[in-house]
Amino acid sequence: MKRGWFYLIGFGLLMTFDTLAQVSFKYAGTHALPVTADVAWLLRVFGAPWIYGAIVGYVGAFFTWMSLLKHAPIGPAFAASHLEVVSVMLLSVWLFDEHLTLPRVLGAVAIVAGIVCLGLAESREHEPEADGDSAPA
Amino acid sequence: MEAASSITPLVAALWVLNVVLDTGGQLAFKAAAGDKNAGDGLARWKHMAARPWLWLGIGSYVIEFLVWIAFLSLVPLSDGVLLGSINIVAIMVAGRFLFGEKLTRLRVAGILLVTLGVAIVGVAG
Repeated sequence: MKRGWFYLIGFGLLMTFDTLAQVSFKYAGTHALPVTADVAWLLRVFGAPWIYGAIVGYVGAFFTWMSLLKHAPIGPAFAASHLEVVSVMLLSVWLFDEHLTLPRVLGAVAIVAGIVCLGLAESREHEPEADGDSAPA
Repeated sequence: MEAASSITPLVAALWVLNVVLDTGGQLAFKAAAGDKNAGDGLARWKHMAARPWLWLGIGSYVIEFLVWIAFLSLVPLSDGVLLGSINIVAIMVAGRFLFGEKLTRLRVAGILLVTLGVAIVGVAG
């Protein structure tokens, strides 16, 4: 039971950091428009606070991922590390006035199904762990 | 309105560049970390720092970071993160060809589904 909470909090934290990074990237980029291949664009990117939110998200996700991998099975961890597409989409509706159009929803469903398949594939490959618990297949 | 044809040539170029840099970076790190002659501990880091792979990986990631910001500033964030999922596929396919990692049936199914999802969003965007 304790283990279940550890995973839940760990995966939730991972998704939160990843989501924070993507939303911050969007704000940083929008703030720096127009896109130009020069120093002025870099200054616009690094001159606003958003980019630092993205860096915090990346660093936080990295350390969460590393400590999760020490204890959690790789399959679910892999899947959780990519499922931020869903949370980012939902947040975009609220923050950026985007819409859950049919292509987006269909695309997201296919991508999430694909990520779940890849997570299952990882689980199967790493099944015989030293740990006594049976890995969730 | 915001969904109307946001995939301009610049957006497409940034998307391709992102995939190339992400995959290239991962493979460079893999090459750095997988070197059997590297030894252990501090010696291993010195060995890696004296060879190009680690630096190639870091360089790729730094540029990718900027490319990704530029990319996301030009498309709706929903489309951006969905289109970015292709990186998962690219790395697995590259790992198959360069390191002989096996593609089981489940993996192939996953790769096809992710690709399908990216294609749906890309064509509609």
